[in-house]
Amino acid sequence: MKRVLILGLGNPLLGDEGIGVRVAEELKGLELPDGVVVVEGGTAGLGLIGLMEGYQRVIIVDAADMGHAPGRVVRFTPLEAQFKTAEAPLSLHQIGFGEVLALAEALEVAPAELVIIGIQPSRVERGAGLSPEVEEAIPQIIGIILDELDVG
Amino acid sequence: MKDGKINVHYVTRVEGHGNIMVDLKEGAVKKLRWEIPEAPRFFEAMVRGRSYADAPHITSRICGICSIGHTIASLQGIEAALGVQPSEQTVLLRKLILHAETVQSHTLHVFYLAAPDFLGVNSVIPLATTHKEPLLRAIRLHRLANEWSDLLGGRTTHPINMVVNGWTRLPTQDELRTLRQRLTEAIPDLEAWVKIFKTLDIPDFERETEYLALQRDDEYAFYNGAIASTDGGTTPVTQYREKIKEFVVPYSTAKHAKAARESFMVGALARFNNNYGQLSPLARWAAEEMGLKPVCYNPFMNNVAQLVETAHCLEDSVRIINELLALGIKEEDRSVDVKGGTGPSATLRTGPSATLRTGPSTALRTGVGATEVPRGTLYHEYTLDDNGTITGANFIIPTNMNHNNIEGDLKALVPTIVDKSQEEITLTLEMLVRAYDPCISCSTHLLNVEFV
Repeated sequence: MKRVLILGLGNPLLGDEGIGVRVAEELKGLELPDGVVVVEGGTAGLGLIGLMEGYQRVIIVDAADMGHAPGRVVRFTPLEAQFKTAEAPLSLHQIGFGEVLALAEALEVAPAELVIIGIQPSRVERGAGLSPEVEEAIPQIIGIILDELDVG
Repeated sequence: MKDGKINVHYVTRVEGHGNIMVDLKEGAVKKLRWEIPEAPRFFEAMVRGRSYADAPHITSRICGICSIGHTIASLQGIEAALGVQPSEQTVLLRKLILHAETVQSHTLHVFYLAAPDFLGVNSVIPLATTHKEPLLRAIRLHRLANEWSDLLGGRTTHPINMVVNGWTRLPTQDELRTLRQRLTEAIPDLEAWVKIFKTLDIPDFERETEYLALQRDDEYAFYNGAIASTDGGTTPVTQYREKIKEFVVPYSTAKHAKAARESFMVGALARFNNNYGQLSPLARWAAEEMGLKPVCYNPFMNNVAQLVETAHCLEDSVRIINELLALGIKEEDRSVDVKGGTGPSATLRTGPSATLRTGPSTALRTGVGATEVPRGTLYHEYTLDDNGTITGANFIIPTNMNHNNIEGDLKALVPTIVDKSQEEITLTLEMLVRAYDPCISCSTHLLNVEFV
């Protein structure tokens, strides 16, 4: 039985930044295969390295600035993308997922299979609640995840 | 550099915003300021009119790292005002979760924020290549502390299981046994870092000052105690306002504080200087290995003191778990008599700011809670009416108490390094600020370092 982690990242207080957490909440209401764990990773930063330990496959759900139209969903792997990371981050608050992944790889603790589902945000200012474009993308995101899990 | 200005706009690798402003003329310091531009948080006003039961949950939001400490200080202040004496089990569990926070905060600071300074890198990221094993150990220790506070508090940040007079969810005996096992297994990770720190070049700088920390007769004080000073004497926490004088400075939104001298320091080094004799064996070993001896006047050694305390908390937590298991974990009565609060630990305030009137709901009661959080002593004082509604509050956070001492240290440090380049002076001043592990506030960071 494969151990799969679905990690919803983001900050629900910053508009569309919270999409990952919202998706994790939705997934918790669904019946998922054995061995699948859903976690709201929030803004855990370096703590994510510990969270990913012990899983063969990790699916990340997060708002991502990919230069697309708001609400656009892209499923990709780290090899297919280049994260814009800070080379010498000046504070822990700057350690985003790009840095965590780079660190995990350098430490050789990155998961064997990593998939990222990025959602282009419309709005990342203070204030809870998703924009309509991102809200409308939720069924599509869930569909992609269920495909990843080979669920009907 | 002999002439010119150094202006560090937003010191990096600290929590919150602080600027260092230095004006040098012919090798002498013309002006030096440690400026805090953070906006006030208004928590003391926010809790007014709320029920006593809300205070711990609201005030835990003052900080994301020390949310456990704020919760505990708040609970103590409320319980003191209400005359509530929590049970032995409640107190032991609070001590256990407070140790989790100390380990979590100290490991984060020492390994991710301070160690890069001493290992010659800008951040923790390059250490993945140059110090892979130690970084993995650091991540492991930090993760243990997170899961430990998760287990007891109900979640990693802003605990929900602690309430006035008890816990809403108790750990099981098995959970405690598993935790005890993990704590024991973490010791080699701690020892490895002690050996690394032993080899590092800690700047040799001293400035004599007063160190304040809570103190107890029976253990190295974290949870509670009386206010002790390296200048002598102890003060009951109910009299904290007589011991600690806060005052305002025009260039900083944070208040400054003084006690017996012009400034004082709180935090790991202050606790070490006052209470070193009560450290656990592992902690005493760590201190010796790293050359930390009381009384140490070198603020850079605060990082070392934090590593010593991490050792202590790991070992002491095993002792606490043993005590809890011996007692047996039991559900307890958490009820609170809101009207009852004239017990020995509550004080009826009769100063000009309190009015004692007869009649319904108007008798005021005050209580002070004080606890050692990672960065130093934290005070929460509450005034309640006899319905248990909060009519007033006063919070003094440890970093606030350190601002004055930070400035004093910067002023004494600059003349000793004035012959170095602007870059070196700037780095050393930033390292001094970082050594205090200041938590100016939990807010998002900007990245600018400006040279004027």
